[in-house]
Amino acid sequence: MSQTITIDPVTRLEGHGKITIQLDAQGNVADAHFHVTQVRGFEKFSEGRPFYEMPSLMARICGICPVSHLVASAKACEAIMSVRIPHTAAQLRRMLNLAQMVQSHALSFFHLSSPDLLLGLDSDPANRHIFGVVAARPELGRAGIALRRFGQHIIELLGNKRIHPGWVVPGGVTEPLSPANRDEILAMIPEAYTNIKLAIEWYRKVADSFKPEIEVFANFPSLFMGLINEDESIEFTDGALRLIDAQGNILEDGITANRFTEAIGEAVEPYSYTKFAYYKPLGYPAGSYRVGPLARLNIARSMGTPLADVELAAFKQLAPGPVQGSFHYHHARLVDMLYGIEKIEQILTDPLILDKHVRATAGVNRLEGAGQAEAPRGTLMHNYKVDENGLITWANLVIATGQNNNAMNRGVLQAAQHYIKDGKFTEGILNRVEAVVRTFDPCLSCSTHAFGQMPLALSLLSAEGQLLDHVTR
Amino acid sequence: MKPTPTQCLILACGNTLREDDGVGPWLAGWAQDRFHADPRFRVLAAQQWTPELALDIAAAAAVLFVDCSSITAPGAVMLSDVSPRGTPQGLATHHLGASELLALALELFGHAPQKALLLTVGAASLDLREGLSAEVEGALPRTCRLLEETVLSLVAEPKSTQR
Repeated sequence: MSQTITIDPVTRLEGHGKITIQLDAQGNVADAHFHVTQVRGFEKFSEGRPFYEMPSLMARICGICPVSHLVASAKACEAIMSVRIPHTAAQLRRMLNLAQMVQSHALSFFHLSSPDLLLGLDSDPANRHIFGVVAARPELGRAGIALRRFGQHIIELLGNKRIHPGWVVPGGVTEPLSPANRDEILAMIPEAYTNIKLAIEWYRKVADSFKPEIEVFANFPSLFMGLINEDESIEFTDGALRLIDAQGNILEDGITANRFTEAIGEAVEPYSYTKFAYYKPLGYPAGSYRVGPLARLNIARSMGTPLADVELAAFKQLAPGPVQGSFHYHHARLVDMLYGIEKIEQILTDPLILDKHVRATAGVNRLEGAGQAEAPRGTLMHNYKVDENGLITWANLVIATGQNNNAMNRGVLQAAQHYIKDGKFTEGILNRVEAVVRTFDPCLSCSTHAFGQMPLALSLLSAEGQLLDHVTR
Repeated sequence: MKPTPTQCLILACGNTLREDDGVGPWLAGWAQDRFHADPRFRVLAAQQWTPELALDIAAAAAVLFVDCSSITAPGAVMLSDVSPRGTPQGLATHHLGASELLALALELFGHAPQKALLLTVGAASLDLREGLSAEVEGALPRTCRLLEETVLSLVAEPKSTQR
């Protein structure tokens, strides 16, 4: 008799999801799926709105990475306006996006994943949380909180709000950077370096103890995609997309936002509300690819900042070609953060950074526009069509979690097949299957605010739907 | 980056798009208007209480948490003591309760305000809409009075726990 194991909802993620594991008659894993169970509807209800409202509307998709939506949306609007924004505005947006990346990665690494990394995947779940981390390594807890604070405070200084700042608008930003705010951000940089270096050193020591997990946590050949600059260094806000194969060969380069849909298609599956992105020439699912920190480090030749370049060189020693194990997303996240801090420091020394000219203006000059940026979790693309009055007639968003969707599903299946035998599983196994998803740090729908606590429930069901076992925590 | 030491932190929580869940941010706005010229007070409002707020709490001599309640009667105004407690409740995700935030401040930064109170207003509706229900609207005048009296008494006798 076949059985189904359901992990519902998965914990320590941004948003709500669940995992279903289908066992065969022998109790071994036949199939597994990661489900996103909420529908959001942003693409539909934005129809009829003026295009210039889109950045602030789209930012509401997410409370963790609103800045990426702001930036991608504003860029799509600027394509409609046919304007090039001032240099200073581009630099300020870049800094804002990097600050968001640092705070989001700090949340993912320190708050959501470090309990597993520090205390172990089999540790008592009653202690496997931030208090457990604080009790065991308080300096690590302080570093995580300080790095998140670093990113959030920059967002607050630039955009006047930690969450959903309205500062980024079509054409640039609403206000220039003040000398006082520049100096305040610069004063925070040394502490941020101290904290990220502490985290990198600590991770380097513990990573080897997870070799068994590295082998089976979504570890398979795939394509990778991300933004890079013309000099092949990493980029979060401008640049163009590069897509490589599992051996590191370049499949497509220089994919600008207006060419995104030529290269990337979206498939749907009956078990999830999230779409599944794929590289069109290879079809679905063969053309599925990964985005985010791991992909960024795999596609870039350099970080473009000295300290992060040293770390990138060390990262590339993990494999002769692209690093395939998704456990290494954790490592890549730390390199991203180091790069972010260095780049913010570089941007602040730009002689034009206090320039007052930070916004271009125009009306509707094209009836379609697309914009792309790197969100913390990976590439994000917004594409809009408008009528002659600038009202949205159609919108499409390709989010990072959708682009990682196939890899997450494959990863859940890989781990479940490795760990679950004869229908038996432990809490530690359950946590490992969840931890595979956490390596990607998916953002499912976090602005759908949940009231109350989210329990974790695991149900073991027969093929007929009869409840055979149930575990909650 | 260390927050400026504060005599009294007013820390509100809530989502203004979930009807009465927005009462925390509403009261934070009122407190900001009332105390903006008084350096003894600092007002913060967040959609969720996240771990990094422990830094702000550790820098305060007293703290008043402000939130809505889904347990008490609609419009009921409650003031209760809060003590540091590192329980698993709420720790699986990235938001924390008032007790957990106090515990985190104490554990990480060696200091938590000894005087910590939680002011709540019972919610009538947490539906997806802006604005407050009639029950919560009706409770606002007495809630503001209680908030004002409470924080003024907190700054009159600040106490703290040191490690």
